[in-house]
Amino acid sequence: MVPPATSLFDWCQWLQNTRLATTINESIWLFPLIEGSHILALPISVGMIVMFDLRLLGFATGSKVTNEFLRWSRFGFAVMLITGVFLFITQAGKAYGNPFFRTKLLFLLVLAINAAVYQLIFYPKTAQWDLAGKTPAGARFCAGLSLIIWIGVIVCGRTMAYEF
Amino acid sequence: MPAVQSVHLTGLTVFLATMVILDLRLAGFGNRESSLSGLARQLKPWRTGGVTLVILSGLLIFLATPDKYLGSHPFQSKMALLCCAILFHFVVLRRFIASEPVSRPRRINVMVACLSLTLWFSVGWAGRAIAFIP
Repeated sequence: MVPPATSLFDWCQWLQNTRLATTINESIWLFPLIEGSHILALPISVGMIVMFDLRLLGFATGSKVTNEFLRWSRFGFAVMLITGVFLFITQAGKAYGNPFFRTKLLFLLVLAINAAVYQLIFYPKTAQWDLAGKTPAGARFCAGLSLIIWIGVIVCGRTMAYEF
Repeated sequence: MPAVQSVHLTGLTVFLATMVILDLRLAGFGNRESSLSGLARQLKPWRTGGVTLVILSGLLIFLATPDKYLGSHPFQSKMALLCCAILFHFVVLRRFIASEPVSRPRRINVMVACLSLTLWFSVGWAGRAIAFIP
């Protein structure tokens, strides 16, 4: 099958009717397995980032320990992304117009920009502020923003399913 | 209900993240310069905060439609697994966290960490199954 070139909505509809999407939808265990993995990867992805943000805000443990959290979160993210793409494929047509799904995508975009800003501007100087014992206000702002918006992503993700 | 469910998931995210961190460290992964008991102490506010959110929101979800949950097999399994996880945490894991892992053979630490994570994540899977299995 060739995807239609007309509109994004048509493309979503096409995606939802592909063999892959119908196979997942019609299987009694495939969809629950993918959805369960998506949700239970939360602590390993978002949870690790939350702990990292809390430490930047000065609420949790030292930087040597927390840098590992980000490393572990990559594994969680791989699971999130793969299962998330599969979940989207099976519901693409319904997800397209869903306001919570759209907000979730927007939040993820903001988070990506926020993470890029942190990595480029603040991360290279971690050693300096570790010595000074003081986290720059900008880095703390990034952490606070990340913390709030990640919770927003969870809320949108949970709520969008109620609209299906 | 989506709001309460969201709180349940956010609490779960924070609580299980602290458990994953502790169990990974117990199994010998990660930074060994800081002591395990020190790490556990630093994570404690987030562990108890997360678990409080999960329990309170869980109680609300249950009380909204108790009949639906009492008759659900996955829910019954979830509660049984939850009891096992809590028991294991206080009887076994607490002792393993209180002393340094290097004082014991690694395979015992790995076994305890695996059991702890398996139990907690089974509670989550059983919870998810409520939506799919009667």
